[in-house]
Amino acid sequence: METLNYLLETLNNLFLIIADAIRGLFADPHSVWANLTMNVINFIIVVIIVVLAALILILLERKVAGWTSQRPGPNRLGPRGWFQTIADALKLMGKEDVTPAGADKFIFKIAPMIIFCLPMMTLAVIPYGKDMAPINIDLGILYFVAISSISTLCFLMAGWGSNNKYSLLGGMRAVAQMISYEIPLLFSLLGVVMITQSFNLGVIVEAQGTIPFIVLQPLAFVIFMIAGLAELNRAPFDLVEADQEVVAGPFTEYTGLRWGLFFLGEYGNMTAMSALAATVFLGGWQGPAILPGYVWFFMKVGVMIFMMMWVRWTFPRIRIDHLMHLAWKVLLPLSIVNILLTGLGIYIYRFVMGG
Amino acid sequence: MFGKGLLQGLGITFKRMVGPNITEFYPEEKPNLPTRVRSSMGLERDKCISCNMCAMACPNSVIKLTSEKNEANKKVLKTYHMDVGRCLFCGLCTEACPTKALKVTQDFENAIFEAEDMHWDMIQRAERKRKVE
Repeated sequence: METLNYLLETLNNLFLIIADAIRGLFADPHSVWANLTMNVINFIIVVIIVVLAALILILLERKVAGWTSQRPGPNRLGPRGWFQTIADALKLMGKEDVTPAGADKFIFKIAPMIIFCLPMMTLAVIPYGKDMAPINIDLGILYFVAISSISTLCFLMAGWGSNNKYSLLGGMRAVAQMISYEIPLLFSLLGVVMITQSFNLGVIVEAQGTIPFIVLQPLAFVIFMIAGLAELNRAPFDLVEADQEVVAGPFTEYTGLRWGLFFLGEYGNMTAMSALAATVFLGGWQGPAILPGYVWFFMKVGVMIFMMMWVRWTFPRIRIDHLMHLAWKVLLPLSIVNILLTGLGIYIYRFVMGG
Repeated sequence: MFGKGLLQGLGITFKRMVGPNITEFYPEEKPNLPTRVRSSMGLERDKCISCNMCAMACPNSVIKLTSEKNEANKKVLKTYHMDVGRCLFCGLCTEACPTKALKVTQDFENAIFEAEDMHWDMIQRAERKRKVE
């Protein structure tokens, strides 16, 4: 039992031990150069997480799509088709990169790059385990939401730069939709922040040691899920790239690897949003000590991602006016009510506890 | 309750997800055809007595057969051709056959590249099939 506990403890801190070992290679473990090296390594790890997540999730999405319609999904390449995405990625790399005539070339080319950078920046503040946040900043939630809202700009850039009416229409829809849903998203996170009195994601996870915030803030969680889906432009809120209405929205004119970057960015953002939901509402790396913390974290992220896919392949697309009504007339008042109730709850708790 | 339909929909898709697939893996796994499918013809040369009943029964005159007499003055089948392009697979020939030498079979991969390949040499086909088996 003693050795088992020791083993679990070691596994739990495996990455911290490795990080300490790397720091130990320097004469002064906390010199500028040691910090720089650690930052570079953290960056590489986050990039690997984003790319791996995209590779796995694209296939998983197709599998889930298949299962919901009683098909096996891709099943030709590799064992049960699990190598399909690799072949797709290779195909995308081999394709010709077309820039349409009359396009705003600089904006057209830079939009997919920016959207691919965003999930890397947002995933950098997520605590993957105890003290395992690549960058531990005090305004974690604020930083996360601020960075992820830049993707609005990328969609508008792609839509404007393509010189195509469908693309521009899609870009305009992106702006309208994502800015509207930003507000309930932020307000739903505010309840948790009020309870923990901190914007730091690490502190928020520590505070969920006894009970995850999904129990204390169920309304906020539901609002967060809906607004998060809308932020990610996933069905049933995929009006931005609604194939039947605006071809593919901002992605219409993109080919080859640029289009692939959009795809990577989309799935990376999905991972980031799921990671935030797992951190803030599901207790992050907290869990029974039978598994290491990071395993718990990734399991929770997986459950969130599965939820998103499940919703996508169940519901039809919402109409654009209904979308706006939902954001401004339902979600926003509900999230404000949630803040009020949370404040009251905290007040009563303090009153009762005599604090 | 508001949102009940949404949950119901999620329940239905989840049931589909964990339930069995209905996809048929055709080239790898051959489908189980209904017993009454008539999609091809097969001839057993040894049973045939060259009575020409099948050719007479055929509404589209698909079947052409020739025979020769052996030492015991019995007819022996020499050639047996079917022009499947005209064949209905109605099975009247198999009903007419007194020795059940001609049968409707359930082979269905009959696609060909050239129009001439529609003239089936039934004796050759029977031999080829025997070799495969």
